[in-house]
Amino acid sequence: MDMGIGIDVGSTTTKGILLDKSGNIVAKSLMLTGASAIEAVEKILHNISSSSNFDLNGIPVISTGYGRARVELAEKSVTEITCHSVGVHRINPAIRLLIDVGGQDSKVIRVGPTGKPEDFELNDKCSAGTGRFLEVMARVLGVSIDELGPLALQSKTPCSISSTCTVFAESEVIGQIGAGKSAADIAAGVHISLVSKITALSKRVGVKEPVCVTGGVALNPAFRHHLSKQLGVELWLPEDPQLTGALGAAVLALEEN
Amino acid sequence: MNQERASEEKPYRRLETQALLQQIALRHGLEAMEASENGHLAWVTSGFPVEIPIALDMGVVYPEQAGAIVGAQKIGPEVCGYAENLGYSQDLCSYARASIGSTEKPDEVPIGSLPTPQLLLACNNICGTVLRWYDAISEMTGAPVFLLDTPPIDKVQLPHNQAYVRRGVERLIEFIESHFNRSLEDGRIREVAELSSRATKLWIRALEACKNKPSPLNCADRFLTMAPVVSSRGTEHCVEFYESFVAEVEERVKNGIGAIRDERVRLLWDNIPPWHTLRFFNILASRGVVFPADTYTHAWTGNMVGTDTLSIIDEVVETYSKVYLNMGLDAKVDKMCQLIKDYDLDGFVMFSVRSCKRYSLGQLVSKELVTERTGVPGVIIEGDMVDSRVYNEAQIETRVDALLEMLM
Repeated sequence: MDMGIGIDVGSTTTKGILLDKSGNIVAKSLMLTGASAIEAVEKILHNISSSSNFDLNGIPVISTGYGRARVELAEKSVTEITCHSVGVHRINPAIRLLIDVGGQDSKVIRVGPTGKPEDFELNDKCSAGTGRFLEVMARVLGVSIDELGPLALQSKTPCSISSTCTVFAESEVIGQIGAGKSAADIAAGVHISLVSKITALSKRVGVKEPVCVTGGVALNPAFRHHLSKQLGVELWLPEDPQLTGALGAAVLALEEN
Repeated sequence: MNQERASEEKPYRRLETQALLQQIALRHGLEAMEASENGHLAWVTSGFPVEIPIALDMGVVYPEQAGAIVGAQKIGPEVCGYAENLGYSQDLCSYARASIGSTEKPDEVPIGSLPTPQLLLACNNICGTVLRWYDAISEMTGAPVFLLDTPPIDKVQLPHNQAYVRRGVERLIEFIESHFNRSLEDGRIREVAELSSRATKLWIRALEACKNKPSPLNCADRFLTMAPVVSSRGTEHCVEFYESFVAEVEERVKNGIGAIRDERVRLLWDNIPPWHTLRFFNILASRGVVFPADTYTHAWTGNMVGTDTLSIIDEVVETYSKVYLNMGLDAKVDKMCQLIKDYDLDGFVMFSVRSCKRYSLGQLVSKELVTERTGVPGVIIEGDMVDSRVYNEAQIETRVDALLEMLM
């Protein structure tokens, strides 16, 4: 049976995809990574197996993401840079620039015509340009991460959040709350600050259209709104932006047959 | 037998001449101790015209090399910590912190602390930090500092720059002569310059042998075998070492033996290596990756061919002003592109060393320019040469793996 499994062990969530030989998605699963990447991988495989009714034994597995080395049954591990590039190329071969913002890293990849990455940049050791930044700010503003984006879109006069450091920005947000600024204006300022980091990273690689956004943060409408505005381009959003890496890994696993 | 087999299976090949290195290091250490006891030991920066103090029969040691040893022993965080406890910032160069830290607590750093200096010779052709660093060592040891100021140059050294540095070299000679009551003999400086040139020429021959496929040397080999050309240029034993070394390298080339067993990808390395994690190169060797060239060990390729004291001083002025780190960004980009072309390299890895601003500044732009001009991809990784606290292996692995996936 020619099938392939891709598993993306991210810092926040673990994702899995099972592809059939025609490249159709047979099963997919997403869950919080939690404290044990190994347990998360086991659960993902269990979910895929039970939702597809397939015995996964003998199906090649490719792992990716920061926990990729922890997936013992994987044929090999491939970096998330290659997997995201291959994954997005499978869904939309026209895409030339991929911006992926995950829980603890953000990456910008120039996708070649065959789906191979041609150049890339990752954020440095700082969490300011990542999903973690939004999580911290949502907590300070007393809203859930899903509510943060819609809240920010209500703003007419966004606050200025000058700091690029998550910890210092948190103090700055607390200061803005103390100064009586509205939660919507603060939330908008937070998004603009995050987007300015991603924009700088994108410009280092070179903004070549069409541009796609993936990763958990791509689900946030305020992030997409401000990024599109700052880059001056339309952004294409896939149906499952969090699963692109796992999809790329599954495509590569299919080639292992 | 088992051990031999295990070694046989390693992805990289050990150089026979590496054993000689230990002898040279021991000899160098003993000579430095003796010079210190006799009151004529100079600490010198890596880009200093060492031929002058050697020709004046001073003993010389290199704090940067000692810093590399501290890094290789994986005690960088502790030793840098001794300097930080004195109030020095963690953002200060880790060679400087290791040097200040091991001067503060020499008993805690048995290999890596240097004998007490009587003179501190700093040349700012490698960075501006050296002056303040040597000032700090001067405060701690009482040894005077001499700064040879070499203003940065773009591509050509202009006459006024040449005249200024020339006056500096003349002042250097006068300074050592008056402080240590000796005089520079024409015959001796010629002898030292000639020995220095011979060692450098042999070193260049070994570097250029890496144009062959497979490359006879990997990065880690060159980082270790560069020690004598950095610290003992101008001595007989340095020339002897490189004669044996070049013989081994050329024998490898003749027999088609590579530094690694299965060479598949050839990369350029830019910057100082992470001394605490030299296994980085060995891990990549097991995946068929070799580094036939780097900008660091190619920095010691200046050559002096003077016939008398005056012409040798002219050579010193030019050679030490035109070192890699004292040139503009264009010259650095030109050099990297040239190495990629001459050594037929598939890509490059730039190590952004937080300690070494002079080396790392401009890498983002250079990466773009080098790829544009050569068509080969590159990656920037971040860390430090001595202080392993700022070296994140997982992040570095992802970046380098992604580069290899683009190439393989």
